[in-house]
Amino acid sequence: MPLLEVRNLTVEIDMGSEFVKALDKVSLTVETGEIRALVGESGSGKSLIVRAIIGAVPDHWIITADRLTWKGQNLLTMTNEQRRVIMRREIAVVFQDPTSSLDPSATLRAQLEESIPEEFLDKGMFWQRNQQRREIAIGLMHKVGIKNHEACMQRYPHEIAADIAQKFMIAMALVSEPELLIADDPTRSMESTTKNQILRLLTGLNETKKLAILFVSHDLLAISGMAHSMTVLYCGQTVESGKVKHLHRRPLHPYTKALLDSAPSFQINLPPKSHLVALEGTIPTLKHLPIGCRLGPRCPNARRECVKVPEQRVVHNHSYSCHFPLHLPIDDQAENNE
Amino acid sequence: MNPVLEVKDLVYTHRVKRSIFKPIDEFILGPIDFVLNAGETLAITGHNGSGKTLLAKSLVGAITPQQGNILLEGKEAEQSDKKTRNHDIRLILQHSKYSLNPAVTVGAILNQTLLLNTELNEQDRRTKIAQTLVKVGLLREHYYFYRHMLSDGQQQRVSLARAMILDPKVIVADEPFAALDPSVRSQTVNLILDIQQELGMAFVFISQNLGIVRHISDKVMIMDKGKVIEAGATQDVFKEPQHELTKKLIDSHFSLVDKHFEQF
Repeated sequence: MPLLEVRNLTVEIDMGSEFVKALDKVSLTVETGEIRALVGESGSGKSLIVRAIIGAVPDHWIITADRLTWKGQNLLTMTNEQRRVIMRREIAVVFQDPTSSLDPSATLRAQLEESIPEEFLDKGMFWQRNQQRREIAIGLMHKVGIKNHEACMQRYPHEIAADIAQKFMIAMALVSEPELLIADDPTRSMESTTKNQILRLLTGLNETKKLAILFVSHDLLAISGMAHSMTVLYCGQTVESGKVKHLHRRPLHPYTKALLDSAPSFQINLPPKSHLVALEGTIPTLKHLPIGCRLGPRCPNARRECVKVPEQRVVHNHSYSCHFPLHLPIDDQAENNE
Repeated sequence: MNPVLEVKDLVYTHRVKRSIFKPIDEFILGPIDFVLNAGETLAITGHNGSGKTLLAKSLVGAITPQQGNILLEGKEAEQSDKKTRNHDIRLILQHSKYSLNPAVTVGAILNQTLLLNTELNEQDRRTKIAQTLVKVGLLREHYYFYRHMLSDGQQQRVSLARAMILDPKVIVADEPFAALDPSVRSQTVNLILDIQQELGMAFVFISQNLGIVRHISDKVMIMDKGKVIEAGATQDVFKEPQHELTKKLIDSHFSLVDKHFEQF
């Protein structure tokens, strides 16, 4: 049984005169002990998926899903209390934009110590608890790579640099030893050494403690280094999903290919100062979503059929939604030959 | 040939007194020296808080360095002579979104730049704006657009248009690609490469993304705690980094790249 299963999740947002499908039938599963990357550009609804999973969505938005389950329990029909218990101990979230998601009125020490669950304080008598809290907190700060913990602990969120705040958010998420970590763009605005350190930490936790990670990002370099499988999102539609290896080797959807080609680091033979591969145009806004396949207007091989939403097709755990995939999937060819 | 931009011994000291009981926090930037020829790109990289943005600011004259000279085509760029300086060195800020005035149209933003820095009459200003908008890949109609009507990539283009409308000799860009998505980022990189080739501008840019640094820059400068720890031609630095920290930065970048290729 998958740890987290999202099947055909649709979120409709009230835009005043009409409802707009910000997410359109998105599917996603996270298995136990798996690192799943969720890739997409800004405005593709990555953060919206995260918010739908954790339940931080305004009441007047319409959420429908065939399935939104955590270990088989339906998250949508759960009471708020039940859901909060799960969110407290089993799922942890690192939010995007750390400086604004921390409490501005409390020091970092207070916030981190508050998030340590009571069950962890089992040594010694009650008057030793505070000391123990402090030790756990300091240990965590070191673990995520904040060396100078004394200088940070006394500060308020607005006084620290963005990358330290980011690491601090990761420390706060890891404190309750969750089973699933949802990390929304955790390596943003980090230099490559720090990024590597955080990625190593997450991979290490995944290997030793079987921590499952939903890694939401558009940093393809980070993703291809650590993730096992990957789901690509474009404008609220799942475009392609499968093992990272397969996606890199044979991307079936034109968008996945464009995304992979756009990173100069992935192309060794690219002469310096030459043109990079880029799709024309930009991501449409929610008010101007095209009908059918939402990549349609930007797609290099769009044809008339693309005004219809393509069905999701699955070949060997590699699913894609495109009328004209770049390669024919191997198994289809084999079947045709037989 | 005279280099376009020459920086000698630049030092800027930033002091903060937080409380009377605590020692003064001091940050010293520099001394920094570099030379940049026309059509070249210098990339500045380094850890957060290493003074990259301060350097960019002191290049364009937003802050006054205590010591050192900035020579533009062999001539001293005087702090008092803001007009030529603003004309020749232009800055693109990190968040183009917040650096554009939300209350006026794109045309008005660009017009303001021309009004303050040139003597052109209204007709000429109009044509100049239209030309620049087309040059950065926007439409003439974007003259009447407000900031919120544009996408991220288009806003970045407007910032670029504002920087190059005065035909500067040097453009300084502070993390111009950080806030952009991969596909839009590639477009902007292509655009900047084209413009540089066409107009022969020198380009100083600050970035954390070593993949892009390696791709578009001729020279690279790595900073730590306000000091330049390594500088040289991009290919040499990437091939044989000398300083400990540079090695670390480059190794960690390439270890990620290698992991990617291991999967094949």
